[in-house]
Parts: sequence; C-alpha cells; structure tokens
Amino acid sequence: MVEEKYIISACVISNNIAAKNNGIVFSAENKGLGSFLTLLYHHLQIDYPKFYKMDNLCKLGWLASEILIKDESCIKEFKPEEIGTVLTNANASLDTDLKYYATTKVIASPALFVYTLSNIVAGEICIRNKFKGENAFFVFEEFNAAFIKAYVDNLFANNSMKLCICGWIDVLGEDYKVVLYLVSTEKKEGMLLFTEENMNRIFKSAEA
Amino acid sequence: MNQKVYIAGMGIISAIGNNIQECLAALEHEDAGIDNITYLKTIHANEIPVAEVKLNNEELAQRAGWSSKISRTALLSIIAAKEALTDAAIENIGELKTGFLSANTVGGIDKSENFYHSYFKEGRIGDLHDIVNHECGAITELVADKLNIHSFVTTISTACSSSANSIMLAVRLIKAGMLDVAVAGGVDALVKFTLNGFNTLLILDNQYCKPFDENRNGLNLGEGAAYIVLVSERVASALKKELYGELKGYANANDAYHQTASSPDGKGSYLAMQGALDIAYLKPEDIAYINLHGTGTFNNDLAEGTAIEKLFHPHYPKMSSTKSFTGHTLGASGGVEAVFSTLSVKHDLIFPNLRLQTPMKEFPFTVERKFIKGQYISNVLSNSFGFGGNCTSLIFSKV
Repeated sequence: MVEEKYIISACVISNNIAAKNNGIVFSAENKGLGSFLTLLYHHLQIDYPKFYKMDNLCKLGWLASEILIKDESCIKEFKPEEIGTVLTNANASLDTDLKYYATTKVIASPALFVYTLSNIVAGEICIRNKFKGENAFFVFEEFNAAFIKAYVDNLFANNSMKLCICGWIDVLGEDYKVVLYLVSTEKKEGMLLFTEENMNRIFKSAEA
Repeated sequence: MNQKVYIAGMGIISAIGNNIQECLAALEHEDAGIDNITYLKTIHANEIPVAEVKLNNEELAQRAGWSSKISRTALLSIIAAKEALTDAAIENIGELKTGFLSANTVGGIDKSENFYHSYFKEGRIGDLHDIVNHECGAITELVADKLNIHSFVTTISTACSSSANSIMLAVRLIKAGMLDVAVAGGVDALVKFTLNGFNTLLILDNQYCKPFDENRNGLNLGEGAAYIVLVSERVASALKKELYGELKGYANANDAYHQTASSPDGKGSYLAMQGALDIAYLKPEDIAYINLHGTGTFNNDLAEGTAIEKLFHPHYPKMSSTKSFTGHTLGASGGVEAVFSTLSVKHDLIFPNLRLQTPMKEFPFTVERKFIKGQYISNVLSNSFGFGGNCTSLIFSKV
C-alpha cells in the first residue's frame, strides 16, 4: 500500500504571474519573458548573482523553486540525501539549443553550450539548496501527473526520498509554464493530498 | 566485511599501443600517441591534435574477430576485455559469478553520426543497423554477450570518472559477496560529438597538451579501452598466476559547483582522495605515486593541484599525468589509468609527465619528467574527475 503524501506547497509561473498556493506573489505587464524573469528575481530580493548566467529554463525553474520552498521550515528537517527532484517538460532544452545553434554560425558560445541539457535546471536547484537526493528529468508531450505521481511514490516507497520537488518546467521562446509541487508524507492543516487530480487542478489553474 | 579484492588480469588498447606490452614499452620510451586526426572524418582534421588508436575499423574488427560494421566503441572494448580475461586465466570461470562493468560516454554514436548525415542528405534513407546501438548500455550488452558474461552486466556513464566508478562498483560487489570475478573498466571511441563539444568549451589545446605546466592550454582528446579483472580472496587463492596488486581504496564525491568545471579549491577532488585513503586505512604519506587526472586544462590542473597540496603538504608523492601520452580518453580514462597504476605498483614504475617546461607557479611540487624504474612503490593513487563535479579516486596497493 502506498503511503499518503501531501502537497506542502505549489508554485505556478505563467502569463507574467508567479503564484504560490493560489496567492499571487508577483505579476508584471507583458514586456517579454526576459524582462519578467529579471523583475521577478529583483522582487524576491535574493542575492544569487549566478542567476544572470542561467538560461531561461534554469531561471524559471530556479525562481519557482525559491518561491516554492520559501518559509517552508520542513526543508530543514530532512538530510540533503533525502531531498530530490523529479522534473518534466515538453521541450527539453530546445530553447537554449536553438540559441546555441545560432551562435555556431559565428563563434559557438561555451556559456550557452553548458545549458544545452534539460536536467541542468535540476542541478541549479540542488546546488543552490545543497540537495543531494535522487534526480530525474523526463520529457513528455504533455503534463503527465499520473507518471510523476507513480515515480515519486516509488522513490518514497524504497526510501530513496523523503522530500521531493516535482512538476513541470517548460519554455520555448516566449511560451513558458512552470508548475512545481513540494511533496512529503508529513501532513499539516490545509495541505492537499498528493494525487493526480490535485496535481492536474493546480496545473490547470495556470491556464485560467 | 574485510574481504580483500585483488587484480588478476589487465587489458588495454590505446593510442600508445594495442595491448599491455606495447603500452608499457611506449611509456618507458616516452612515445606519446598524439598526432593529427587520421581515422575520424571531421572538418577539424588538421587543426586539432588527438590520440587515436592506430587502427581503422576493419583492422580492429579483424583483431576482434567481429564485424567492422559494429561501432568502434564495441570493437575497442572487446579487444581490451578479451586481453584482460585471457591474462587473468581463471580456469573455472564458467562456474563463478562473473560481472562485466563497462563504462562509456559515447555509446555507438560514431555510427549514428554517419547515419544522421546520410539520412538527411539522401531523402530520409539510412541503415537502421547504424543506430540500434546508439545508447551507451547497448555497447556493454554487445560485448558482454561476446564475452559470454551474464551474471551481472552494467554500464556507468559519469563523464570522465566513468571507468573509475565502474571499478569502484565492481570492488564493492565483490566485497559484498555478490560477484566472484569482475571485468571492470571502460571504453570510448573518438567521435565528432565529443570533439565538437569539447572544442565548443574552448578547452582543446591545438598543440600537444602540457598537463601541470604553467603555460598549459587545454587537453587533447584520446580514445581507447581498458579493463582490470578483479577477483575475490577465494578466487585469488586458487589462481596459479601471480596477482598484480590489491584494490584497496575507492571513493566518489561531488563538487556541486559547475556543469563542466571543477571548483577552484578542488573540494570534490579533495573529498575523493581523502575518502579513498580512509577506506584503505592509509595516510597521505603512504602513497608513493599519484597518477593524476591532469587533463591539461587551466581549470582541472589548478583544482586538482590545490586539493593535492591541501591533502599531502609537505610530503608529496611522485606524480604525473599519463594523458600526456594517451590524450584524455574520457569514459575510458579511469580504466586506462587503472592499468597504468597497476603496472606501477606491480613493477615499481613511475611514468613521465611529457612536455613539462615550466612547473605551475601556484604549487611547491613538480610532476615527474622522466621514467623512473626500481623505486619501491607501495600504494598508487589514481584520480578521475568528471564533468558535473563527479570525482573518483582509487588506490592500488602491492601484494
């Protein structure tokens, strides 16, 4: 029997809005993704200059993870080896692949090249927070809550993980969407059960 | 669980030789295997020196007794693995739990690269045989079948520490009683994917590489395959041949610093070396020789040297990077250097670090420039540090 897990917090970034647990954290006028990401970074008042080096996939995922775990004191209750990530998207690192490919016609850019892998975003999140648990990145055509649920359940069941950041981080050009869930077996008041239905409901809230 | 693990056999094919004897002779005569690109078809042919195995696919296939249509990665792998198994000469191997742990980073991509070009040029027509073994694990499976090894077969792909990690896993499986014998190491063929990738990172030297030199300017890519045959105490005691050594220490740690660079203070390297010493119950002064990762890039040599200074000061062992001979064989490098480290501990040899002109000004130590024979070697530390901060150290000891 699968032990029940809860969504401690959820973060959604889409359409120039960043939200946590249904409350808007930050919104801006539509002046393009690049501008939105920089404004959001300044709004969060985090001093992490490495942000400026990241590609848009990493900026999105990293900013969402910062919002997701901010004020969640439970993070400190787990060992680094017990915290991991299970991430998915549709376009892998294609956004940066295309930008990198454009530079190869002049001088291929090493700074872009090192981001031409989708799971670099998991590295950025884990390096920032010193998470040392399991990492996986899967590419699907569409958001697949059932797969993520089953995969996370399995990692918890064999004791590979006790706290997980999972969800969707996708970007291609100006189209982007991030939905992250912080999941563990600890239940506190007001938390949603970690189910396919609840994941889908939160995912769809980003479209409204 | 104090089960010891011994080295009973070795096999290698690299730019400096097609077997153990040839490689050893090249090391002794200071013959580097680096040259202009001869076998790989690439637009960079006259710009970037590399260390290729000096045989084309037909010649490799002939040696391997296999088809030349198979990936160069698999051909290199089977040649070195067969040499290692023959060398170990374990009579009743069919009755033992034998594993094949082979690392690589490129899989059958040499064939995929050709497929890709012709497929898009010739109206979407291509031979699917050229892509079925694209994946890293497919190469290991092909070779394991050919070696008739079935008890345990796995592939490790952690960039430049891949082979060292396959050796570490093999030792742990034997210690845990899950295997009696393990053929462990790895392989990588030189392909466009890695040549162009490393070229993009601007870490390839357009001259012959100069590891640990003040004026080092990057690495030379190489290719090859190398395996050691590890055996349990029980298997070792039944062998009629002399053992090469004991694999006493191993550890893996991660920098968590950058996608492709080591942390400047060499934190991961330090933790890996310290961890290997701890497992072996050895102190830094017990190490007689370090086979350096020593790629020749500005970043690696500085990080590795910093970690060595922190751990070994003021008692520095002899050190050298044999990548000045073989180039950086990536997924195979941990295997290639495990073989060299084993030769060092068995025959009391220290290999030269070629082309050193100006030692790095940051460090109080200098790497060895000459081949040294006859100095007693008790323990050898071998470093393999990979992209993603994946750092592994192994310790080879005299029996």
